[in-house]
Parts: sequence; C-alpha cells; structure tokens
Amino acid sequence: MSDFIIKAQELTKNFGDLRAVDHLNLNIKRGEVFGFLGPNGAGKTTAISMMVGLLRPTSGKVFIDGKEVQEVEKGNIGICPQELVLWDFLTCKESLNLMGNMYEVPDDELKKRVDQLLEDLFLTEKANTVVGKLSGGMKRRMNLAMALVHEPEIVVLDEPSEGLDPQSRRVLWNYIHRLRDREGKTVILTTHLMEEADRLSDRIAIIDHGKLLLLDTPKNLKKEIGEGDVVDMKLSDPNKNQEAITALQGMEQVYSVVEVEDRINVRALDAVGKLPSIMEKVETVGVRIADLSVRQNTLEDVFIDLTGTGLRE
Amino acid sequence: MKFISIAKKDVKELIRDRRGLIMILIFPLFFMLVFGFAFGGIGQSNQPHNLAVVNYDKGSTMPLTNKQVNFGTNLTNILGDSKYENTDVHIFNVTQTTETDADAKLKKREVDAELIIPENFSQSVVALLNNTIQQQTAPGTATVTTPPNATSTLIIRGDTGYIGFGVSQGILVGVLAQYQDKLVTEIQNQVKGTPGAQPTKYLQSKVEAIPGTETFTSFDFLAPGMMVFAILLLTTTVAAALTREVEKGTLARLKLTKMRSLDLLFGGMLPWSLIAAAQIIILLLVAILIGFHWQGGLNTLLLAILVGVIGGVASISLGMIIAAFARNDRQAANLGTIISVPTTFVVGAFFTLPQVVIANINGQPFQIYELLPWTHVLNALRTTLTFGGGWNDIAYQVGWALLLTLILFIIGVVLFSRNRLRAEN
Repeated sequence: MSDFIIKAQELTKNFGDLRAVDHLNLNIKRGEVFGFLGPNGAGKTTAISMMVGLLRPTSGKVFIDGKEVQEVEKGNIGICPQELVLWDFLTCKESLNLMGNMYEVPDDELKKRVDQLLEDLFLTEKANTVVGKLSGGMKRRMNLAMALVHEPEIVVLDEPSEGLDPQSRRVLWNYIHRLRDREGKTVILTTHLMEEADRLSDRIAIIDHGKLLLLDTPKNLKKEIGEGDVVDMKLSDPNKNQEAITALQGMEQVYSVVEVEDRINVRALDAVGKLPSIMEKVETVGVRIADLSVRQNTLEDVFIDLTGTGLRE
Repeated sequence: MKFISIAKKDVKELIRDRRGLIMILIFPLFFMLVFGFAFGGIGQSNQPHNLAVVNYDKGSTMPLTNKQVNFGTNLTNILGDSKYENTDVHIFNVTQTTETDADAKLKKREVDAELIIPENFSQSVVALLNNTIQQQTAPGTATVTTPPNATSTLIIRGDTGYIGFGVSQGILVGVLAQYQDKLVTEIQNQVKGTPGAQPTKYLQSKVEAIPGTETFTSFDFLAPGMMVFAILLLTTTVAAALTREVEKGTLARLKLTKMRSLDLLFGGMLPWSLIAAAQIIILLLVAILIGFHWQGGLNTLLLAILVGVIGGVASISLGMIIAAFARNDRQAANLGTIISVPTTFVVGAFFTLPQVVIANINGQPFQIYELLPWTHVLNALRTTLTFGGGWNDIAYQVGWALLLTLILFIIGVVLFSRNRLRAEN
C-alpha cells in the first residue's frame, strides 16, 4: 500500500477565462493532516472539489488509493463544506441517521456512531432539536458530524472554523487531532487562519492563483522562509512607507520588507541587533518611527510574504 | 431502501415547514373560493336576474273584439311571473322604472339588463295579429284596420362586458321570440274557433339536463379545473424545493453518498403525491361547502384521489425538468409559474378551448391539448366528480394520463440526473 492516499496530477480547472487551479501537483500522505493555506479566491475549494469528485477537472487527474476519483467507491470521503450544509427542519439525530442510511451503514452500527458523534461534538443535549434552532457553533459542529457518520478514510474540512467562537474552535481542533491520532484518518484542511493551519497541520501547501507556492511542515516553512524575527513598525507619515521600504530592502541580512495595513514589517536575522541601523535607514527618507515592536516570525508572515497583502475579493 | 429515507426526510421537512405547507394548501383554496363565489351562486343553482323594464307602450285596440289592450304591460307581467321549470324561483326580478333610472341602475350593476318597450309596441302586436287574421280568413269575411306603425323595436340595453347581462339578454331574447309565437298561435285559435284552446302559457320551454346536473352552475364545471390548477402549481413548489437543495449544497452532500438518482427522485415523489391527494380532498370539501354538486360518493372520491396523484406526479416531473436548469430557487419558482399557469388554461381548466383535432385514435378524436397529461386528469376529474362517472368512464383518460406522466417522469429523471447529480463541469 502506497504512503500517499491522494495524488493530484497536473490538476487544472478553468471557469471561462478564469483559471482557478493551475497545474496543481500534490501527494497527500495516509493519516496526515494536510493543510491547504491560501487567501480567499486562491483556488482551495475548487481544488478540493475536484479531489473529492464533485467537480470535473478541465485537465489533470486525481487518484485515491491508486484509483481515479470517479471510480472510487462512494463512502471513502467525508466532506465538511465551508458553508453550513444542513437540513434545517430535521433534528440532529434525524440528519445523521439520514446520512448514515445514504451511506448504507447498518442500523445497529449507525445508532452507536450517531450517539458517539453527538457526544464527541457536545451535541447530545440537542439530539432531538431541529437543526434550524441550533446556535452558529452547534451548526458548525453538526456540519462536521454529517461528514463523519460513515467513518470515511479521508475527511475534507473546508474552512471548518469559519465564524466559530474560541471555545467551539477548541472543541473542533481537539476533534481533528483525535481523528488523526486515534482513528488514523487522513484530514485535508483548507483554511486562511494561520493559527489553525499551524496547530493542526502536519504539512501545509500554500496556494495562490491556483498554483502551489510551497509545500512543507509548518516548522520548516517558518524556518526556511521565515527565518529570523519581524520588526513591526509604524511611520509618522505612512505616505512615505514605499520610500522607506525601498531603502530598507537594500540592507544586508534583511530577508523581506512588506507593508501590512499601513505598517511596515521587516524580517531579518537578529532583528534586535539591527534595530539602530534600521531606524537610521528610515530616518534617511525624512520620517520618524511612531511605533515599533519586535516579535518572532509566524506562519502568517510566511503567508503574507508569499501571497502579498492585496485584497482578492 | 434509501428512497424511503429520502421520502421520510421530505415528509418531515414538508410538515415542519408550516408556513410553506400552509401556502401550498391555502393558495389553491383561495382560488377555489374566489371562483366559487364568482360562478357558483353559493349553493343556489338558479337565481333571478335583475331586470329593469321601461314601458313606453301607449296601448292599442284588439282586432275582432275591439278591446283596449296594452301588450307592454302584458309582457312586463309575464316576465315578472315567469319561473324556472320545476322550481319556485322567478327568472327575473322586474323593476318598472324610467329610462334614466334604469340606465343609472345598469351602471351600478344593480340590474343585469334593461328592457325598453317602445310606445307603438301594442300597435305593432295588433298589426301582427291583423295580418294573421287576414291570412286565416277568406277575403271580405272580416274587416280589420291596420294601424299605421306596423313594426316596433324592443331594446335590450346593458353592459356587454358583464356576464350578468350576457345571461339575462340571452334569456330575454328567447322569451320575446316565444311571446310573439304564442300571440300568433292564440289569435289563430280564436279565428278558427278551436274549442278548448290552451290558455296562453307563454314560457313553455323544455330543458333536458344530463341526469344529476339539473341544478348545476358554472362552478360545477370549474371546480375540477381548480383542482388541476392546484396540482399544476405543485410544479412551482417542487422546482423551487429541488433547486433549493442544489443551492444549499445538501444535494452535493447526498451526491457523495451511495444514493442513486432514482432514490432521490422517487423518494421525493412520494410526499408530493400525498400533497396532491390532500389537495384533492381539501379542495373537494371546500368546493362542496360553497356549492359544488358532488356526485357519486366515496367511490368517485377515491378515483379522484388516484387521478389527482397521477396529475401530481406529472407536475413533479415538470418540476424536475425546471430544476434541472434553474439557477436558484427564485428562478425555479418564476419559471414554474410561467409554465404552469398558462398550462392550466391550455388544458381547459378555466374555459373550454376550441377543437383542434390532430389525430383519430380508435375512433376517438385526439386534440392537441391531450398531449398534456393534465388534460386527461381534468377530464377524468370532471367525469367522476361532476358527473359521477365510475372507473369504466375514466379508464381511457387515466390510461392516457398515466402514459404521458410516465414519459414526462422519464424526461425529468434523465435531465435532473444529467444536470444535477453528476460531477459538475
């Protein structure tokens, strides 16, 4: 049995003139949490839809356990979509039973799974409540439960934390860890939340404009791309940000200088030691530093570095 | 049996969405009430028509007897006394008034029609009678003076766009023709001296009704049409519901499972068929309450439910076809309405359509409208509910309805599966 459960080869999808996914090549390991990181409109959901067989690629192929995705027996994949995809007038239990029946889960087994899922996702008390009356967080958890009732080998979670409060997010994250650690599931996670990708993923693929930009473990990504610290500063005159960026980019051992929401982020090795020369350089363009902080490099810095800061929607 | 799970889901969704369910059931009910009140007479089949009579007639002298007579007054009395056959209901509520007042009443629709009797009406009747006498007797045996104005014109005035006027003027024209015939017959009998001549019975028409329909109104013809209208409106609801399933993503969720197209569509058909059956029962009850003369008892009700369910499946199939193409539930609902409402007219639910025979099948003419299953559904409902027909009377229509529904269902399944249940392009 191959180590890779999913293989995407030269996956491309065009919508008219727009190329949403551009020759994407990916191998996802069995039993890993694979993070898909990218800004809105980067092509994450389109790529995932093709990988689970919901969307036909313009070109390229997807193999699951060596078989083309359209030939794979249904039930191997469970998908928790970005939107809440629930039947508002069914109760939690009825919704899960319906999905179980559709996947041909035997009745006695289904009953056990439904009870267990409701308990694990803290929904037991709401088992007989119609979905439409659940809170936003509960609906999110139901959305996840619906993808798991048939115990699929591959679980696809498309931005599962969207709109969740910190408590519900923690429940969800613990559950995702459990899916991998205790049940050995392969989890594909798309997100634009850096913390989520950082905490949950074994490997992260950063995609933008439908192209794979980088693929590695969170640790390596931060180390390779984001080595060093980040000096985050605000200038007295933000109109001179571009001038200051040009001046700073010429400095030695400065890896990157980017503008983020009217502030300038300078990533450099030994940032603290370089602070006097950075300040001096900024003053050469005729501004002073109004606010400054130094912090460790995060995955977000890597992400911004690779995908830029412009809005995509 | 995944289709049973789908059917259960749909039943629960239908029942729990109270607002939606009420709309599905109440909307056709509203139409039934409107049409019932408009055309039914609320249980009274024959009602008097309001008639204003303006009598300018100055009278004349009868030939032979030289008696002073006023045929205008005579005609007015006859109109006021006339009754529907075998009932105590008068045909007209006669109001004698002036022309100005009658015109005002017409405009306010307080009267259905206005009859203006001219001042020389009696003279022209006398002229008619004289003419008859001259033809009956040998020249020279009777001396009759012919008045100068031998013809007169009765005016029936009214709003030609008003159905009440249409009915009243139709009856009036008939009554007046008979009045003239009877006058002639009467005078002929008098000239001949026929003993025991029948007393004048001016309104002696014979109406032969189809058994059981003696007390019918337009509503008895329209009520089954209302049921077909309700069934056809299911198209809109089904199309919107299926498209909502696509739009919300629940269909994509189901597509990933082991469910087949037929499970979804057959499962979805069961609850909607129940709705069609419920609509037939509810609409029939309401129709009866507002004056529909239901014939045939429980047997015809069961047959009507069967026919209604077939019509319901045809509408569901049409809904599937629309849902295969609609982009969102609003578009599906609009498309459903645009298609189902004209279809209601085309199948003849509201009025009879001109004959357009396109073929002869087993000696029976086959009209273009009969390519639609709902035409046969409507014919079968009318046959069984309005005329009390049994299975043998509707078997031909049911056969056609079944065949055409099956064709429509296959088209619906193929299109919906191809466009909605496969991986998207």
